[in-house]
Amino acid sequence: MKVLKADFYDGTTSARQEVEIQFEPPGQLRISGLERELIFPLSQLRISPRIGNTPRSIYLPSGAKCEVPDNDTIDSILERYGRSSWQSFLHKLESKLVYVLLALVITVISVWGLVQYGVPALAERVARSLPTSVDEALGREALSVLDQHFFSPSVLDADRQRELRTLLAGITQRIEDTHVYRLEFRSGVGANAFALPSGLIVITDGLVQLAENDNEILAVLAHEVGHVVHRHQLRRLLQDSATVLIIASIAGDVTSLASLSAALPTLIIEAKYSRDFESEADQFALRYLRDNNIRLHHFADILLRMEKQRPSSGLGGGYLASHPATKERAKLFQDDG
Amino acid sequence: MINESPQVDTKDIAGGQHIPFEFSGKAGEYFKIWIVNISLTILTLGIYSAWAKVRRKRYFYGNTHLKDSTFEYHAQPVQILKGRLIAFGAFIVYTAVNAMLPLAGVVLAILFVFAVPWLVIKAHAFNSRNSSYRNLRLNFKGNYARALAVYIGLPILSVITLGLAYPVYMYHRAKFVVVNSAYGTASFSFSATAGAFYLIALKAVGIAIAAAAFLTVLVLGLGALPTMVTQPATPVGGPVALLIIVGGILAFSAIRAYLDTAVANLIWSNVRASGNQFQSTLRTRYMLWLYLSNAVAIVLSLGLLIPWVQIRTMRYRLENLKLLAKDDLDGFVAREQEKVDSGGEEASELFDLDIGI
Repeated sequence: MKVLKADFYDGTTSARQEVEIQFEPPGQLRISGLERELIFPLSQLRISPRIGNTPRSIYLPSGAKCEVPDNDTIDSILERYGRSSWQSFLHKLESKLVYVLLALVITVISVWGLVQYGVPALAERVARSLPTSVDEALGREALSVLDQHFFSPSVLDADRQRELRTLLAGITQRIEDTHVYRLEFRSGVGANAFALPSGLIVITDGLVQLAENDNEILAVLAHEVGHVVHRHQLRRLLQDSATVLIIASIAGDVTSLASLSAALPTLIIEAKYSRDFESEADQFALRYLRDNNIRLHHFADILLRMEKQRPSSGLGGGYLASHPATKERAKLFQDDG
Repeated sequence: MINESPQVDTKDIAGGQHIPFEFSGKAGEYFKIWIVNISLTILTLGIYSAWAKVRRKRYFYGNTHLKDSTFEYHAQPVQILKGRLIAFGAFIVYTAVNAMLPLAGVVLAILFVFAVPWLVIKAHAFNSRNSSYRNLRLNFKGNYARALAVYIGLPILSVITLGLAYPVYMYHRAKFVVVNSAYGTASFSFSATAGAFYLIALKAVGIAIAAAAFLTVLVLGLGALPTMVTQPATPVGGPVALLIIVGGILAFSAIRAYLDTAVANLIWSNVRASGNQFQSTLRTRYMLWLYLSNAVAIVLSLGLLIPWVQIRTMRYRLENLKLLAKDDLDGFVAREQEKVDSGGEEASELFDLDIGI
C-alpha cells in the first residue's frame, strides 16, 4: 500500500509536522513521523470533500488534522471502503467535460428563459396586484423636472388644445381603466409625445405641426394610452430591478469589476424590455384604430415623418435602442387590402 | 508612529523572514466548479447556493498558501442554508408588513438599523471562526456599542459633514475589524492612523478634479459643448458624448483602482499579530489594468470569463501580500471554540452590507 506525505497539525498549536500516512492495516489510518505512531480506524475519521485539487483534510478524533495533497489516493481509499460522500458526486460533475458542458447549457437556457419570459411575466403579475395609486406616485415629479430643463409653454391656441383633448377623451372613455387621463401641451424637443404613468400625456407643438391630419395625432395618442393602460413604467421599474439582481447574482463577488462589466448586459436587457413595451403600445394603437375603422397607415405615416425629422446620433442603435426600428413598426401599420 | 506608506519598519522584527502568500488556483479548474455551482443553484431554485458558496470558498482558501500550509474554510452548507432562509423570511415579513401597514414598516426599518451592527459582528464572527490556518481557527469578538458607533454613527456623521468625516469612518471600520480579530489566542493590532486615510481621500479627490478638468478642456477644445447641451442628437453630439462616456469610465476606474489599492495597502501593512506584520504592495497602475481588462474580458465572453477574472485578481492580490514573520509561525496557540450560527453573515449578504476589509 502506498505511503503518502502529509502535514500534521495537532489543533492546539500552529506547529507543522511532516508525517507519512498509510491506510494499513486495511480499514485503518496509520500516521508515522510523530513521537509515537498513531492508528485510527477509518470509521473514526472525517475526511473533507474533494474540491479541485486543493489539499484534503483528514480530521482526527483528538481535534488534530492531516493535510494530504494526494487527492486521487484518498478518493480510491474512500471508494474502496464505501465511505464516499454524496459530495464526491459533485466533484465528478466538476471534473468531467460532458457534465460541465451540460451545466453550461442549463445555465444559458435558464438565464435566457428568465430574461425572456420569467421576469416580464412576474413583473406583470406584480404590477397587476398593485393599485393605480402607485402609478401616480411614480411620475409625480417628472413633468416639473422636464419643464425646467427641456420644455417651454405651448403656443397652440386654446381651441386647438380643446379639440385635441376631445380626441384623447374619445380613446379613453371606451376603455376600462382606473387611470385619470389628461393631455398637456408643451413646446421644445422637436416632434414628440410621451405618457407619464399617472395618465398624463404630453404632446409637443412640433408633433401637432408635423401631423397632416388629426387621425395621425389620434394614433399617436392611442400608442401613449397603451403605455399607461399596460402600466409600462411600473413594469419597467420592476423588470429593471430584477435584471440588476440576476446579473449581480451571476457576476457574484466580482465586486468592483462587476460594476463596469455588468453595466453593458444590463443596458442591453433593459433596452430589449423597452422595445417590447413599445411594441405592446403599438399593438394597443393598432387595435384601437382597427376597432374604430381608422386607416392604419396614419400611424405609419407620422412615425416615418418623425424619423425623417430626427437626425440619427450614431449612438444607441441596434441592441441598445429603446424603440424598435421605425421601418419594422411602420410595416405593422400597412392597411390590409 | 505614523505609518502611512506600505513600507514597513522591520527593525523590531529582528531575525525575521519575509514569507510571501501564494495562490495556486487555476482558471480552467475553477470554471468547472463555478458553472456547476450556477447550474445546480438554478435547478434547485437557489437551495444549492449554500453548497456553492462553501465549495467556492474552500477552493479559494485551499489554494492560498503561506509557508507550506494552506487555509481552510469550514462552514457547513446546511448552516448557511438556514441563515439564508432566515434572512429571506425576514425580508418577506418586512415587505409584507411594509405593504399592509406602512407605519409598522417604518418601525421595522428603524429596528433594522439597530440590528446592522449586530449583523456585522455576527458576520465577521461566523466567517472568522470558520476559517483556519494550520488547524487553528481565526476568531472575532466585537462590542455592540462600539459597532453601533462605527457602522451607524460614523456614516451619519459623514453625511452631516458632507463627506468630510468619511475617512474617519473608513479608518474606524478597518480598525474595528482588525483589532477584534484573533488567530488562536493572538489578537491583531492596527497601527494605521486616520490621517493616512485622509491623505488617500485627498489624493483621490485630486485625481477626480484633474480628470474632470482634463475632460472639460478636451470637450471645450472641440468646441462642441454648446451643441451638446442644447441638442443632444446633433451629429457632433455622438462622438463627443462617446468621448465623455469613455473618459468618464476611465476616470472612474482610475479613482476606484487608486482607492482600492491604497486602502488595501494601508490596512494590510498596519496589521500585526504577536510581532508578525503583514505587508501589501499592490500597485494602482496594475490594478487599473486588471479592472479594465477584466471588464472587457467579461463583456466579450458574455460572462464566461468571470472565473478567470476572479482567479487572476485573487492571484495578484495574494502575490502582493507578505508576512514579515519573526519566526517560523509555529508558536500560535488555540483557544476554546464557540459556535456561531450563520444568521448574521447570510443576513448581511442579503441586505448587501459591505463586510470585507
